[in-house]
Amino acid sequence: MDGPRDRVWEVFRQEAEGDPMVHGGSVRAPDEELALHYAREFYGRRQESHRIWVVPREAIIELDDPDLLKPPFDRSFKRPGGYIIKHKLEAAKARAGAAAVATPEEAATDA
Amino acid sequence: MPDPAVAELLLTLADDEFVLGFWDSEWTGIAPLLEEDVAMSSISQDEIGHARAWYELLAAETGDDPDRIAFGREPAAYRHAALMNHARTDWGFSVARRFLYEHADAVRLEALARSSHGAIADLAAKMRREETYHLMHFDVWTRRLADAGGEARERLVSALDRLWTDAAAVFTPLAGETGLLASGVLPQPMDALLARWRNRIAPLLAERGLPAPPDDLAAPPDGRTSRTDDFGWLHGEFTMVARSEVGATW
Repeated sequence: MDGPRDRVWEVFRQEAEGDPMVHGGSVRAPDEELALHYAREFYGRRQESHRIWVVPREAIIELDDPDLLKPPFDRSFKRPGGYIIKHKLEAAKARAGAAAVATPEEAATDA
Repeated sequence: MPDPAVAELLLTLADDEFVLGFWDSEWTGIAPLLEEDVAMSSISQDEIGHARAWYELLAAETGDDPDRIAFGREPAAYRHAALMNHARTDWGFSVARRFLYEHADAVRLEALARSSHGAIADLAAKMRREETYHLMHFDVWTRRLADAGGEARERLVSALDRLWTDAAAVFTPLAGETGLLASGVLPQPMDALLARWRNRIAPLLAERGLPAPPDDLAAPPDGRTSRTDDFGWLHGEFTMVARSEVGATW
């Protein structure tokens, strides 16, 4: 089973127009036409796909180096949750609320 | 009162798809690669689905039961073309048969989509959409085997040589054809469809350096009535369950 018949193709499918393309799995096929036919059979024959993409596996550029993906230092500040802004947010809300209830006259008196 | 000529036409359409679907389902588990195994099985199911639609239409016309028509006849009462008289044989043979059949079916459905019989026209139009994929699939395989050279090409070529006349039998004139043409149920005579089929496949074959259909190719008069031992065996297989309990509800 050596040779071109062993080419592997990654299949992406979209359930409905506008949905993201999601990796469905892979098929083996000797050429792109049959790859598309087999992708259709495996990931589309039950009318579960609106669109299918087929990509030769060798066209995929892979990165799995832990030095790049899992650095040893604490990098939690790069995550969205890295900054604790809860208190700052509450303070900002309180200021905004106080300004909103204040009438123009009061605001003028205060000034 | 059902028109016997319409019934005959429907029976030929249904039996072609039904018998071919059963033959090629014999590849399940042993196709050249796993993916093709799934594809061939799925395409065979499609054909049996099309047969079912034609049998149901026929049953509605004649007040019969579609399952009885499909499974309750003796081998001699089937009306598929001689092309479907052969076992699946080898992969080259099955691909050659499919190539010849899919193009014949495409020509036939194209004509029937213009039938004056509304239900036939509707079904033909729907089936054409699904058959597009079948056509693509066996065109690809025909090219692959032709281009591969060696044994693959030899088997393909010898199957084509063996099947010309049996494939032409898809267009064997029907007993009631004159009436069908007059009423517009069949928009064009079988002879004209045969010529169109030939013109359609000749350039595809030439492109791959494959043999052309013989110059004197004609539809054999007994193209839909001759039966073989191979078909007798298949008939035994596909009627086995139905015969085990005649009239049962499944």
